[in-house]
Amino acid sequence: MARKRAFIPPIERVRGGFAFNIGEDERQLVSRLLTELSQLLMGESGDPRLVRIFPPAYHLADDAEADAEYQRLMREDLVASRLSGITTVTEALQAPGPVGEEAMIAFVQAINGLRLVLGTMLDVDEDHDPDDIDDTDPLVGEHHLYNFLSWLLDWAVRALGEPIK
Amino acid sequence: MPAPVEVGEIDVDDEIVPDRPWIVLVWNDPINLMSYVTFVFQKVFGYSLEKATSLMLDVHEKGRAVVSSGAREKAEIDVFRLHEHGLWATMQQDD
Repeated sequence: MARKRAFIPPIERVRGGFAFNIGEDERQLVSRLLTELSQLLMGESGDPRLVRIFPPAYHLADDAEADAEYQRLMREDLVASRLSGITTVTEALQAPGPVGEEAMIAFVQAINGLRLVLGTMLDVDEDHDPDDIDDTDPLVGEHHLYNFLSWLLDWAVRALGEPIK
Repeated sequence: MPAPVEVGEIDVDDEIVPDRPWIVLVWNDPINLMSYVTFVFQKVFGYSLEKATSLMLDVHEKGRAVVSSGAREKAEIDVFRLHEHGLWATMQQDD
């Protein structure tokens, strides 16, 4: 008989990979958010919500030309890499049984991508206090999503650090 | 097999770039989780948990840290891989 556990982490390493111990609602929420991220990535390249997804590669003013070249050559690869990761994650969230290491790594990258977009929209700074959400804030929903994704990401990273079973 | 290339006279006046290495920097930012940044350093560079944690703390406390260095092409690949993971990474030629 299985031993009863007081707390079941939302993501954990199990034999043969990783288990998502989250409900159908949460799986669908994450999938929906990732679909929105895909659409954003394929949309207007100057969208300000994407600024953290595409940081400069060369920060010195003298290297501005090199940076323009990098953005011109690499941006498409970065979008392709993100979209392919999102597809992997969306499939993994629907699949029965444990999720493989590669899909779990795609998961942390994708969830972090969502947090970068939400964090940019919410103008998250060093003084950001996740516990201090103003219920009258028009972006209150986004604040809760951001916290939910941070929580999920932290558990996913923790699971990746656990020894293989 | 590549065709043999005739080597012309090398124009020494043309762009003598000093062979200084390029460094890759990761900058502190308020969004990326400390645990996630540590994980990315381990995965992208194969650093030990200890080294990755110490670099992450440098980024967090000093605002930035040099995470790798080498030829320009290698630095650009490192920057790209860090961007794939959402880290705020840039590169510059070392002074």
